[in-house]
Amino acid sequence: MEGKTKKVCKKIILYMLLIALAILWIVPMFTLLATAVKSKADFYTGVSLFEFPENPAWGNFVNAFKKGKLFMYMKNDLIVSGLKVPLGIFIEALAAFALTRLKMRHRTGVFVFFLVGMMLPLQTALVPINVIYSKLGLLNTYFGLFYVYIGFGISFGILILRGFFRGIPREMDEAAYIDGCSKWQLFYRIILPVAKPAVATLVITDFLATWNEYLLGSVIINDNTMKTVPVGLMTFVGEHGTDYGYLCAGVLISLIPVLTVYLIFQRYFVEGMAGAVKM
Amino acid sequence: MNTKKKSGEKTDKAVWLFLLPAGIIYLSVIVVPVFYSFFISLFKWNGIGEKVFVGLENYMKLIKGDKVFYTAVRNNLIWIVLTIFVTMTVSLGFALILNKSFKGRTFFRGFFYFPCVIAPIAVAIIWRWIYNPTFGFINDFFEAIGSEFSQTWISDAKVSLYAVFAASLWQAIGQPMLLFLAGLQGISADILEAATIDGANGAKKFFFVTVPLLKETFVIVIATLIIAAMKVFDVVQGLTGGGPGDATQMLSTYMYSQVFQYNNVGYGTAIACVMVLMMMLVIIPYISITAKED
Repeated sequence: MEGKTKKVCKKIILYMLLIALAILWIVPMFTLLATAVKSKADFYTGVSLFEFPENPAWGNFVNAFKKGKLFMYMKNDLIVSGLKVPLGIFIEALAAFALTRLKMRHRTGVFVFFLVGMMLPLQTALVPINVIYSKLGLLNTYFGLFYVYIGFGISFGILILRGFFRGIPREMDEAAYIDGCSKWQLFYRIILPVAKPAVATLVITDFLATWNEYLLGSVIINDNTMKTVPVGLMTFVGEHGTDYGYLCAGVLISLIPVLTVYLIFQRYFVEGMAGAVKM
Repeated sequence: MNTKKKSGEKTDKAVWLFLLPAGIIYLSVIVVPVFYSFFISLFKWNGIGEKVFVGLENYMKLIKGDKVFYTAVRNNLIWIVLTIFVTMTVSLGFALILNKSFKGRTFFRGFFYFPCVIAPIAVAIIWRWIYNPTFGFINDFFEAIGSEFSQTWISDAKVSLYAVFAASLWQAIGQPMLLFLAGLQGISADILEAATIDGANGAKKFFFVTVPLLKETFVIVIATLIIAAMKVFDVVQGLTGGGPGDATQMLSTYMYSQVFQYNNVGYGTAIACVMVLMMMLVIIPYISITAKED
């Protein structure tokens, strides 16, 4: 009996701790919501964040689309991510297949060569890419942007896919070859479909990383009609520095796509990461 | 492992075809630009006019007389120490709690990971507002509970670096937390039970059973945290842009401002090259550990 009370006590402490942490963790989101419904005037007349304003400034949300051109930024970001994610994963999978399935010298060396890119700071490539792109006329183009995104994603993609491919039994290859499969067919018809969980994880992490990327986007794109969401959000700050209600409404709207993707694919996060740990 | 073959094996010709697309893009986006960066760093250049070859002068200037450069290096080092002691400890704590079995566990895992999916630049925008000395959350909170306490956070050079770090922490614990959770799931309950039978209490079990078994996870977490700390940019740029003064200047933000604000392209690129050299100190041991397990 006593052991049971102790267990219940432990549970209560656990939940209290969790709720306390959750309240702390919700502060930024609360601030965002509480600010987005207030007008500039509300702040100057001293309406506290903790009060709901008499006239909620729904206009902030309308403005974020109309004045802020948020819809345009989202469209641009969607095009770039939509091209980068599938193409990038396909290219990484091809390389990971060669690294795990084909006869090859210096296998580890080639893998390490590809791995180093994951650790290099974007800053090293910034100036050269800018110089080369302006010569080739690739600044302010979708192609220019998703091409560098693929480049910077290759290391991580190969790391994850190689880890997964290695776990697929070799007997499958032999059986496929006996059935008359070519190497390409082995890759496309057998290995790639089996690797679905790893691909799913990559789709999510890649989409988020691309959708949220700021530095390269801000350097390669300066034409306002071509900007992605993070770069576009920063123009909110520049032009309307003091109007936080409007800015927060913009941030809030920009979260909808990532939130949707996150909620749909949530379960792949922990599973996918487990794969990365095993490497 | 039967995947290991003799090192003398011949390379299949198809390898080249499969590696070609990744190889071309990787070379053109990463490898060539890194060398090109080093080349540019040997010039004095404003980005538009003639390049003037100055040899290693940019590097000499950095090392000999640039106070801001040393501030940036110091700030990056402080950031590394903070991520290892604070971010890692907090995320391990979260993982330990969220590894227990209780109702709503999946919800709480998703909840605490959630900030990770937000753009770092948006995180910076949110926290800039939280820290606002007149209208921000912290100020309003103290007002609401009737306290006179008021403090400027990101505009006070003494606390700004820590304020920016605190803001980044909200988002930064998600990834290591997931890695720790994945590691913890690999520890079988039998081992912990055996330790309990042998009379080990909670703390003993943690330090002598759990921690040693998480060794691999710790290596990955520490390596990724150090690499991320060396690269940190978005959250600093969005919150303070390196200011006030140069109090929160990082190598990344300093490089960015030199190149894109002051048009000292050669000088800024030299900073980027120093970043690469410093990263190598972390990368080489990490890769040699990873490759050994191969």
